[in-house]
Amino acid sequence: MIGTDPPDDHAIATHALCKRYGREPALDRVDLRVPEGEVYVLLGVNGAGKSTLFRMLMNLERPDSGRAEVFGRDTRRDGPMVRAQVGYVPERQDAPHRSMTCGRLLQHVATFYPAWDDAYAAHLVRSLEIPTGKRIGELSKGETRRLQLVLALAHRPALLLLDEPTDGLDPVIRRRALALLAEHLADAPTTVLISTHHIHEIESLAGYVGILREGRLVAQAPRDELQRTVRSYQMEVPDGWEIPAELQVSRRSRSSAGRLARCTLVGEEREVIRRLGVTGARVRQVSALTLEEAALAYLPGDPS
Amino acid sequence: MPRLRDVALEHLRVTGLGLRPAIIGALVTALVALGVAVLQGVGVGTSVYLHAEPPMLPGLMGALLPFIIWGRDTRTDLDFLWVLPVNRGRHALVRVFTGWMWLMAGVGLFALWVLTLVLMSGSSVLPVETLHVLTGGVSALGPLDPAALQSVRWAPGPQIWAVPFVAATATYLLGSALTLGTRHPFRWIAAGMLSVGLIAVVGDAAGTLPAAGWVSRVPLQLLRSLVSGPRGLDALLTARTASLDSTAILTSGARVNVWSAAPRMADWRTAALLWNSAGLLALSAAIHGHRERRGG
Repeated sequence: MIGTDPPDDHAIATHALCKRYGREPALDRVDLRVPEGEVYVLLGVNGAGKSTLFRMLMNLERPDSGRAEVFGRDTRRDGPMVRAQVGYVPERQDAPHRSMTCGRLLQHVATFYPAWDDAYAAHLVRSLEIPTGKRIGELSKGETRRLQLVLALAHRPALLLLDEPTDGLDPVIRRRALALLAEHLADAPTTVLISTHHIHEIESLAGYVGILREGRLVAQAPRDELQRTVRSYQMEVPDGWEIPAELQVSRRSRSSAGRLARCTLVGEEREVIRRLGVTGARVRQVSALTLEEAALAYLPGDPS
Repeated sequence: MPRLRDVALEHLRVTGLGLRPAIIGALVTALVALGVAVLQGVGVGTSVYLHAEPPMLPGLMGALLPFIIWGRDTRTDLDFLWVLPVNRGRHALVRVFTGWMWLMAGVGLFALWVLTLVLMSGSSVLPVETLHVLTGGVSALGPLDPAALQSVRWAPGPQIWAVPFVAATATYLLGSALTLGTRHPFRWIAAGMLSVGLIAVVGDAAGTLPAAGWVSRVPLQLLRSLVSGPRGLDALLTARTASLDSTAILTSGARVNVWSAAPRMADWRTAALLWNSAGLLALSAAIHGHRERRGG
């Protein structure tokens, strides 16, 4: 796995976390390390195990083996104390107490968090246009998602677990929600673990990136390191040339003449060029990738 | 971390909010029923007893309430409850307890309604009744010779007023255990009713066949004990005033209430202890299933 060990102060640390549903592995020896105060973006295709990991951190799922810690506390042994420090937006866009109004639900949840900030909650309600008088059961998916965001943020938790938080939001509200998140992070030191399919939206906030593939954490690194070690190489190659087996490749293309090839390769640039040179390839251009493109290098795709 | 007292008070408020339509409905029904009773001529001179009013109503209320509190909960509702920063076992218990407080308020309303009727009729708050009890070996099926009836004085004492509260508590505990402990409580109820029906049909059919084995008879006997036996459901819900009481026609043509035996409050006390203990045990097991997930 590519990645360096983040610093010792981890808001989240999982240790060989495993979970299977029947024969299907949902999580396979996951060692997640989320440094305190960082925004950690968890990426993966649907079914990669992202939501299972979130649910385990909230102690809603029991791991088959391994353990998870939040701020040094075991999520199973110290569940209530862990949850007191967490704001959680689940993947499902459902809210409880369907006959209750949004305003009453906010009041209800406030009871459980002594740190609930009424003024901040009111600010969030205004900004995200929460219809406080409307019953939960009558909310649209987007409205429910907005309400979930308010519930997660308003007690100013030290850790935010956001499982695809902008899903179901229209572009205007999505932008506003992300601005609120940025404002929230600027106001108070908060660690964020966020999963999303829209990495470009949070690219500016992301400090760390982790990539789950079929339940395995295949990459975990600071964002800069990920972008530095995943690059696009354009090269001139001899007839019958093949990419060296030791290089991790995610995408490749070849010109019609067959002499020019382009690949996305993982590794330190100098080392990659050296290894390519050994096989007779002459690198003509190395291009940096966006965070999304670099992350895509680890996700299953068609490397044709 | 929130204080448990604050959590309990909030659940009390939220449960009350959820029960508001039922509370309004119950108040309206109680007033209408009182009006109907007055129109039907309940007044000084008529006899009104607690056990003669819908005696199963408190037990039914207790059984239904958990379905209003928990039964409509989806996975989302439960997940929401369990992500709150409260120990899950304690949280479930608090929610059950606050529901029980509302139940007691409802049963109190019922008792108040009966008390109003009792006072309106001029009957005694602590009833003393003369029961017509069948003497041994006489069946109440055909017209009955009045000589086969024996007058027995029955004075259950103040504990008769505890019956609805205790019955509702037991059924509430069992209902809470079912709703909290199973993923599909309605399926369990349907399966239970189906089993009862099957046992009754098979048991009755077996009764006509001399060669029928114990396999078909024993379940029916067990079912009868469970429902109308001295420690059965009826003993819990009505102190056996429902299963021992029936109507018979005398040879003179008069219709009277006859009792196969006089109810014993000792039977009720035993039944109440057994059923409430069973409810508590079942609830403990159900809550244990929602504990903080420490295993693995």
